[in-house]
Amino acid sequence: MNPLLLTFVLFAGPVPASLPVQEPPAGEEAEEAAPAAEEAAEAPVEEAAESAEESPWLAVVGGDVHTVTRGVIPDGTVLCRDGRIFAVGRDVRIPEGARVLRVDGMQVYPGLVAADSRGFVRGRGRDAVDSFDPFSLQVDLALTGGLTTVFGSGMVVKLTRGSLDGYAVRVNPFVTLNVSPTSPGGRRSARERFGKARDFLRELSDWQLRKDLGEDVGEAPEPEGVDEDALALLRGEKTARFNANDLKDLIAICEFLEEYPMKSVVYGGREAWIVAGRLGRAGVRMVIHARDKRWADPDLNRPSGWSIENARILWEHGVEFAIVPAQASVSTMGIMGRDLMTLPIEADFAIRGGLPQEAALEAITLDAAKVLGVDHRLGSIEPGKDADLVICDGDLFHYRTFVQWTVVNGRVVYDKQERPYFAHVRPRPEIAPEEALQALEEALSGDGDEAAVSTEDESGPGEGAAGGADGEADDEAEHGAEAERTAGSGS
Amino acid sequence: MILLSLLVSLPAWSPAAFPQQEEAPPRGRAEAWRLDEVRTLDGETLEDVTILVRDGVIERMGQAVVVPAGARVHDLRGRDMVATPPLVLPHADFLVSDRRGRGNHSQYVAADSVWLGEDWAETLLEEGILVVGVDPPGSGLPGRTSVLLVDPEQRRRPEPLVADLHLVVTVTTNAAAVKLVRQALEQGEKAIEKEEKARKEWEKARREWEEKQKAKEAEQGSGKEGDGGQGGEQGSGGAAAGGDGDGAAEEEAPPEEFEPPEIAPSLRAVVEWLRQERVARVQIGSAADWLHWRDVLGERALPYELVLRHPLGTNLVEVVDDLAAAAVRVDVPARISFLPYTRIRVNLPAELAAAGVERLVLSPPSLDLRGVRDWRMAVAEVVAEGLDPEVALRAVTVEPAASLGQEELVAPLAVGGPATFTIWEGDPLDPLARARFVVHSGEVVYDRAAAEASETLR
Repeated sequence: MNPLLLTFVLFAGPVPASLPVQEPPAGEEAEEAAPAAEEAAEAPVEEAAESAEESPWLAVVGGDVHTVTRGVIPDGTVLCRDGRIFAVGRDVRIPEGARVLRVDGMQVYPGLVAADSRGFVRGRGRDAVDSFDPFSLQVDLALTGGLTTVFGSGMVVKLTRGSLDGYAVRVNPFVTLNVSPTSPGGRRSARERFGKARDFLRELSDWQLRKDLGEDVGEAPEPEGVDEDALALLRGEKTARFNANDLKDLIAICEFLEEYPMKSVVYGGREAWIVAGRLGRAGVRMVIHARDKRWADPDLNRPSGWSIENARILWEHGVEFAIVPAQASVSTMGIMGRDLMTLPIEADFAIRGGLPQEAALEAITLDAAKVLGVDHRLGSIEPGKDADLVICDGDLFHYRTFVQWTVVNGRVVYDKQERPYFAHVRPRPEIAPEEALQALEEALSGDGDEAAVSTEDESGPGEGAAGGADGEADDEAEHGAEAERTAGSGS
Repeated sequence: MILLSLLVSLPAWSPAAFPQQEEAPPRGRAEAWRLDEVRTLDGETLEDVTILVRDGVIERMGQAVVVPAGARVHDLRGRDMVATPPLVLPHADFLVSDRRGRGNHSQYVAADSVWLGEDWAETLLEEGILVVGVDPPGSGLPGRTSVLLVDPEQRRRPEPLVADLHLVVTVTTNAAAVKLVRQALEQGEKAIEKEEKARKEWEKARREWEEKQKAKEAEQGSGKEGDGGQGGEQGSGGAAAGGDGDGAAEEEAPPEEFEPPEIAPSLRAVVEWLRQERVARVQIGSAADWLHWRDVLGERALPYELVLRHPLGTNLVEVVDDLAAAAVRVDVPARISFLPYTRIRVNLPAELAAAGVERLVLSPPSLDLRGVRDWRMAVAEVVAEGLDPEVALRAVTVEPAASLGQEELVAPLAVGGPATFTIWEGDPLDPLARARFVVHSGEVVYDRAAAEASETLR
């Protein structure tokens, strides 16, 4: 069989109308996604790998794929290559020699992102790199909960169990600011720094304008005495981080951002529901706890304290937020949802407060990635993004659901049946090889292939559509055999 | 007729017919050890064996060895006596009296920190140990290892067999520890770079001087040929100690011999390692340590051995294939470990051997004296749970000897090899079988019966 035909993929997954379908990412996200989609359309010729183990391809086949950005694809396939998602759809053609992970009847989500964590890395920068233990219990347990990326010690870290390859995603994404009215000195200092930085940017802009008009303006002005962080924040190169829970602090942040617009994240936000509209207008992103219990203060003549509706109200006002548990570490204390092992359960409390489930999913995937400035790589299942997947045996937000496999950078790093933690609890039924063979044969059958060949040129790059093969029986049998060999085994 | 021919040929068989025998130098007294079994550790187990020893060397070994007249014979047959090469203790930290923290202490050698008690040698010989390696105390880059011969005559500060051997490097998944090693390597590379730069400058200066000299010689030569009078004057002027400027230039002294820039004492061993003149013992304790070590090592091709120092719960089993692929000597504690946070048993030495680690060293389960006494029991446990006995015996004898550069002293037993062996009262892997004799180059350095008799007298 022509390997070229073999590597063409078909993206024809219908998106159910009942689920909200988001537009493709705009701006820089779209720029990021475009080359990958193009790559999908121009599927390269791949030599069949000698064995599935060595193959750069991983196909997660048969699950309901929760893409986050494009709804749910029932009985879909996620095809990954070299650690990135290559194609997503219902009739994705699987290249010869690919590792096939049959996940029939299961739910496939993007890897969960924790916008705050403790205990994964220590130190800063290079020190954090040197202190990461990819074999640690924290990493193992976090993977059992579907976590694939965490932020801690100033680093965005992938949980690349057993490897140091590709685990550091971003270093120092934030500049922490304090503009609380309880700290007038800090507030004044911040205003002074940002005032100077803004004056300098105006001066620079004016110089550039005059230069463009052909005036003799000499050398560009130098940012002498201007705070570098303030400059980077005003230029949008970095994100400001505020830590605030109380209303007065949140209002102070809004005031500051209205004066100096910049990318910003507020960690805390217990009383954010009271000023959700203003936060939304200020363009703030938030990292919140869904059950940050603090009772209203009866002495205050205004709303105060926590609300279980906090997340819903923020969402309704267009504030993007990530949800993290009150305890940002991994523990085995046995209290479900109080730490990173059960992040979706934490999000359940936001759902209980009225947050739609899709928004709750975003809060622990794409929006958390946005908070960390890594949404161009993480947070959804789209071609070009990192192949970080969580495969569950049920709804992610259900308390009985177990993560069956976790995939990071296209590598299966957690298999419930292979690791000792939960293998004994409701062991996963093995998928019979015959079933796997039959299902794969169906996927490889020529029905949709001819149509796919004819629509190859019509398909947009984002859809990753491509042609299929003539479906020689021999090759299909080989695929079937490969699937049989690897069916139900994550490693 | 046959008899006649034999009689005729008899003179030809006389000693005079073997001139090499006449020319052979006088030899020492032979000593014969008759044993039930010899495990040569070269893949052979010989039974009912005689080892004939002369001048510290095994002259003959086998079943049909003729013992020369006058030889001293130790007939130990019928008592399950088994000879093997002696044990070599790769780490003997209990002999070190100093304490040092983490840092770059690579200017120190372990021998400087050794303080030997009264009966240290007897304690080790009792266990059939003849050679010990001593690690410097501390972590990071604690210093260099030394090698001691177990000799009862040595007390307090010994004369080591080798004073300065490996550079010890400990790598743990800890920012400060990794940074220390990384910085030492980078500083060492800078020192080498600096020296190379200085050498190039010196060579350039030297070349320029030589060219100048040649030019002058040529000038003198052409002057003599072309313009004899002037050239001659100039030449003679120069030769006459230079009354003018030209003469002074001719006398320009050549650049002095190259003196490399001084390297800080704490970097010398690192520089030697970077130049592949020294082997490092890299100590790791977990799978993550291994990854960080590989990260620190990067593209550098440095000679090193791995020393695994892991807690009872270890995840090193996850990287055994990588360790085998590194094709270096691996020193692992002889002990059954567990997967972290479980009671799942892990026979790490057996896993390493199965993964293809060819040069395996089994060190005691702990580095104190108790660990030494439990050593063979721990090795027996590892063998009982799957490690090949031959591999295990090699891993406590010839492999650690090779690691300590003592392969000529402790080697597989063979004709022509050193007569250095331990004789055990039974299977050497049986923890209840005790060492009966330790023989070093033909000399009995430990005789348990004599030791016990003297102990009784005392």
